[in-house]
Amino acid sequence: MIEPSRDLRDVCAIVGAGHSRLGRVPGVSSLDLLVEAMHNAIADAGLKVTDIDGIICRGPDESYAHHQLIGARLGINARFSTTLDNGGASQILGVALATMAIKAGMASTVIIGFGRDSWSRTHSSKEANLRNETRPDSQLAHEFGPEYGFFGAVAAHAFGATRHMHLYGTTRDQFGAIAVAFREHALRNPDAQMKKPLNLAQYHEAAPVVEPFGLLDCSLRSDAAGAVIVTSRERARDLRQPAVPIKGFGSFNNLRGWFADDNMVTTAAKNSGEAAYRMAGVGPADVGTAQIYDCFTYMVLTQLEDYGFCKKGEGGPFVASGALRMGGRLPTNTSGGQLSEAHCEGMLQVVEGARQMRHTYPAERQVAGADIALVSGHGGNQVCHSTLILGRA
Amino acid sequence: MPDTAKKPAPRPSPESVPYWKAAREHRLEIQHCDACGQFWFPPSQNCPHCLESKFTWTPVSGRGRVFSFVTYHRVYHPAFAKEVPYVVALVELDEGPRLLTNIVGVPPQQVACDMPVQVIFDDYNEDVAVPKFMPLKGTT
Repeated sequence: MIEPSRDLRDVCAIVGAGHSRLGRVPGVSSLDLLVEAMHNAIADAGLKVTDIDGIICRGPDESYAHHQLIGARLGINARFSTTLDNGGASQILGVALATMAIKAGMASTVIIGFGRDSWSRTHSSKEANLRNETRPDSQLAHEFGPEYGFFGAVAAHAFGATRHMHLYGTTRDQFGAIAVAFREHALRNPDAQMKKPLNLAQYHEAAPVVEPFGLLDCSLRSDAAGAVIVTSRERARDLRQPAVPIKGFGSFNNLRGWFADDNMVTTAAKNSGEAAYRMAGVGPADVGTAQIYDCFTYMVLTQLEDYGFCKKGEGGPFVASGALRMGGRLPTNTSGGQLSEAHCEGMLQVVEGARQMRHTYPAERQVAGADIALVSGHGGNQVCHSTLILGRA
Repeated sequence: MPDTAKKPAPRPSPESVPYWKAAREHRLEIQHCDACGQFWFPPSQNCPHCLESKFTWTPVSGRGRVFSFVTYHRVYHPAFAKEVPYVVALVELDEGPRLLTNIVGVPPQQVACDMPVQVIFDDYNEDVAVPKFMPLKGTT
């Protein structure tokens, strides 16, 4: 294994974080939602838009030259500007790339953001609601899928859940513990999309979608955007917010496919996490809070195993123990996650990780004593993964 | 029902045309590498094991096991409204490759990981037959 560079540990920091209106935001494009989040992040950092000289962003899957469209809306040119293509793993990869660009002298202050309009898109017509698909037809499988009635991301991830249940005896009660914990967190977050309490009985009563997943195993359809700003720690000293050091990052991509090898049970989070831990010089026991890419309940459980918070196969008992709740061993998705706050392809996980490490939340939302936050991103065709490790400001 | 209620027929890529042609004749054939001797799927010009491009479309046993599966309750396409609940599975052939498919001829609640299965063909129309799998005879 190539040893990740320690030269990048603690070199840069997140100095601004922002999000847009979340949930159902009809009549606003994904581009304008992202500009809204970026504007909030810039204001949070105490910067002017003209201080930004790097843009790394992404929008809905079919968008072309997304960073160019965003730059035009922000009214700036940039030394470093690009769009990434790793699905929900792109957002952390953006933070990593920003750090590398800053270290290389290619930019000084980089904004990373993602915005989408998935609620509006899947509620624009009856047909759109039935298909529940945000990707354009050209990006969907045309054989070895649709003829079998295989549609949507729910089923792809559900395959992993079935296999995990078969190998380790994992149960839907355990998946439910994840949904319930994140809902508790969302109720403390006034901006979260989901507002009603949830218990395990209600979790089981929800309609089955693609077994073993029911409706409440699935993340939300959201109109949502988030953004963070990365700069050198040196420059961060003069800025408004406590600077959250970027201690490490990693990525791994199981490009042989989600259906290949054992990838649906041991995900790319394992290798991505090991790289990030080594760069940061920490291990799972040091992590005080995790912000995990929760497209589906099962994906949280398997990533927690892959990141070493428990052994492979023991994720079920781990989550059922209450570990993910505030006050538990590893408070996770403390703003509600994609299951209950809003689904923003992992961008809001980065935002929440940074906010937790500032230690400026009111007590009910703050993970007390957390010195390290681990953030995960997962996506593409379920095979791309990225990991970010943040330190206390 | 409108025309959209037909199940979507596969739209082959250039590489998969022989696969669907064999399936129409109720044969399950996949690519076998002339160089390294391994099978692969889905179809592509180069063997993903050794990148050689000489291969032979070869009939396989049609037997395998369910690696994993899911049961659809939600209708995403009107053609499947009468099918729910239906099982979509990943079957690992005895020859190695894994195929996405349906498990038929058995209630969804009786499908299990590692269950032995064998291929059958579902004629969607004159031009298209789709390989599906049912429990291996003599095992249930």
